[in-house]
Amino acid sequence: MDTNNAAELSARRATVVAGKRKIRWGDALAPYLFISPFILAWLTLFIGPAIYSLILSFYRYKGYGTATFLGFQNYRSILTYHVFWTMLGNTIFYWLAHVIPLMVFAFLLAVLVRSKLVRWKSFFKPVIFLPNVIAVVASALVFQSLFGTQYGVLNSLLGAQIPWLQDPKLTRYVVVLLLVWRGVGWWFVIFLAGLTAINTEVEEAALVDGASAWQQMRHITLPLMRNTFLFAFVMDAISSFRLFTEVNVLVGTGGGLAPVAVAPILNLLLSNLRGAQFGMSAAVGWILFVLVVAVTYIQFRLFQESAEEVE
Amino acid sequence: MAGSATATPTRSSASYRRGRSIQVTLAHIVLLIVVAISFYPLIVMALNSFKTDSEVLRNPAGWPEVWTLASYEAIFQYHGGLWRNFMNSVFVATTSTLIAVWFASMAAFAFAKYQFRGRNLIFALLLAMMMVPFEITVPPLYIMFARLGWLNTYQALIVPGLASVFGLFLMRQYMLGIPSALLEAARIDGANHWQLYWRIMAPASAPILGAFAILHFMGVWNDYLWPLVVATERSIQPIMVVLPNLRDPHIGFLPVWGTIMAGSVLATLPIVTVFVAFQDKFMSSVVIGAVKE
Repeated sequence: MDTNNAAELSARRATVVAGKRKIRWGDALAPYLFISPFILAWLTLFIGPAIYSLILSFYRYKGYGTATFLGFQNYRSILTYHVFWTMLGNTIFYWLAHVIPLMVFAFLLAVLVRSKLVRWKSFFKPVIFLPNVIAVVASALVFQSLFGTQYGVLNSLLGAQIPWLQDPKLTRYVVVLLLVWRGVGWWFVIFLAGLTAINTEVEEAALVDGASAWQQMRHITLPLMRNTFLFAFVMDAISSFRLFTEVNVLVGTGGGLAPVAVAPILNLLLSNLRGAQFGMSAAVGWILFVLVVAVTYIQFRLFQESAEEVE
Repeated sequence: MAGSATATPTRSSASYRRGRSIQVTLAHIVLLIVVAISFYPLIVMALNSFKTDSEVLRNPAGWPEVWTLASYEAIFQYHGGLWRNFMNSVFVATTSTLIAVWFASMAAFAFAKYQFRGRNLIFALLLAMMMVPFEITVPPLYIMFARLGWLNTYQALIVPGLASVFGLFLMRQYMLGIPSALLEAARIDGANHWQLYWRIMAPASAPILGAFAILHFMGVWNDYLWPLVVATERSIQPIMVVLPNLRDPHIGFLPVWGTIMAGSVLATLPIVTVFVAFQDKFMSSVVIGAVKE
């Protein structure tokens, strides 16, 4: 705090020395001027619309004419609409099916690359990260081409006609594969940084005390990485619930949305928006928000419990 | 036993070394498999972009029978040019990034280095609202922009991401670590507030501004949902929205895979170029975003 004040104090001192009263106004005003573009943009483009969205979610509004107050009717309609539950199921499936392989692969690769076994670390690190650098749409399109039924790369290699992107059961796994393929490098880099930050002396002391590699991992490395894991799981869950591009580019054709059988929740927001059902669309957004908060809270609790268990 | 005691260490260290070299080989085999999996889709993308559209259908997996730039030519010609959509993406992502970095860094400077009434309250409010996903604002923003006549304009594509609380937070954390003595000295030399920001603070926090710029640029570049909502006219659409919908002009429903793959290469190239040029900075920006949270 003291260092924060220092600039201001010295500024004041300078004004006193200069003895110019007008500059003092400038000093008091300066921080407000610095934050005002950001705050104005935030208020008009985020807070205003967010409040508007909350209000909208209780109305039927077509974008013109008068809005009709419905109370919780929009929410009730969504929650009793079977399509919503299918999409929620899909979203949860995508999240749970990809998060474990994603995190396990990313962590094991980070451990491997950090270990003394591996040479050319500076080669492997960027190469493993590479899929993240590919545009999301481009990677979804490449997967569409890899898993095409008639003209797909994989089927032509197998000499088969497996309907990867036509059978929803199979499509789900292709989506998961895409999420894992794209995501591993991102968390790998973060885990690698987390591992590198661990003091090697602690680990070496454990080795000297006769700890096996597994014990060292279990009792030293993993507990020290807990916060990084918590962050990773929470961020990945949030982005899973906001999943949109990957699925719709992979199976949606002609600017259209993916079929309901494989669609994520955000598709319901967009389809209502396209149908000028703005109230419903906004309500889907707020349901998404509640889900994100709930999932984040649950994960914090789970990590807390596991921490208490260890102690 | 006593006799073998001298021999054992050498034998065990030899077998240790052998075991070690097997481990080393295994580790590298595993990593090379991972590298192959990382690269394979990219190789397919690159190879297919050098085939004609019809060859991709015949021969999706193999080496091009005839290497051709036909798909790349098509990018420039197709329906008034995919080139235009590429430039739309470049323009929107660049403008949005410049303004977002500017706004967030000025605000971060004030939050880090000034005392002012309401500072902590405003900052707490900003952070508290971070959990609210952007998608919530999509329906109202659509209505607002429709009223303003902003649908199918660049400002509609650029404006929504301008106030990044995430960026503000990252920058403030970094700026707190920059010694205030620097500012004091400049102040005594007669610098005004703007100069403190522009000449001292912005250059001193260049690493974090760069890290945030990379993340923000990638976000806008990759964005698909928002342009799908506000940009329905081909001339204004970013490349990401157009790319999945390229169809044969004669057989309407048939995707032109050669051209789509060439477009994917093009859509990927700018970020890959930045990545290759600034590998370490690029990857550490990902880490900064995670660790400072």
